[in-house]
Amino acid sequence: MEDNKKMCLALFSGCLDKLTAAGVILSGAAADDMDVDIYVLLQAARAFKKEIATNKDEIKLAENSHLRDEFINSLDKLNVKEWHEFFKEAKELTNVKIHICGLAGKIWGGEKLEDFIDLADDIVGIGEYITAAEEADIHLFI
Amino acid sequence: MNEEELKALNVDKSVDARGTACPGPLLAAKKAIAEISSGQIMEVLSADEGTRKDIPKWAAKKGHEYLGTAEDSGYFKIYMKKG
Repeated sequence: MEDNKKMCLALFSGCLDKLTAAGVILSGAAADDMDVDIYVLLQAARAFKKEIATNKDEIKLAENSHLRDEFINSLDKLNVKEWHEFFKEAKELTNVKIHICGLAGKIWGGEKLEDFIDLADDIVGIGEYITAAEEADIHLFI
Repeated sequence: MNEEELKALNVDKSVDARGTACPGPLLAAKKAIAEISSGQIMEVLSADEGTRKDIPKWAAKKGHEYLGTAEDSGYFKIYMKKG
């Protein structure tokens, strides 16, 4: 079998709308059996902390923040998963690795892998991200 | 295939993804097609307009044969044969 295509996602945002968009894109990559490396950078690392990830009150919108309730209600009504559930499902379907940026982790008081949701695979330095970005067929920054 | 031919097909797997928006139907299709054998036929029920082009393209890319789409009231059915 030929090698799977590769996606590299630099996930910077810790906002609900952007995390949801990243989750939808990730689902598309999963449907395509792509290998995905996600690098969880500054603001996103906070959202991946255990006590934050499932607590919507802690996560803002990047845009149209005055329409936050409408946004969340619409997602519910459309039966759209929560952002972290997209990541979970994609991991079940394809080879997705979630790497937490070591610096970002420290900024938000996350020194160890256990400080982040179970979906996180490891804590890495920026060198690994650059290598993954070099090798990827698709490279995104969200 | 025309709509009559599609509706007359013996479907081996039917996936009802009408309760979900994009990317729900696509992921449902991906999961379900793993459960059938090469040559078997699957239909995906969807009311999500984006799915209409999405799933046929995905199917072709993954080596399955897109057979066509049949309309129903308020939703449509996408048929494919597993490659």
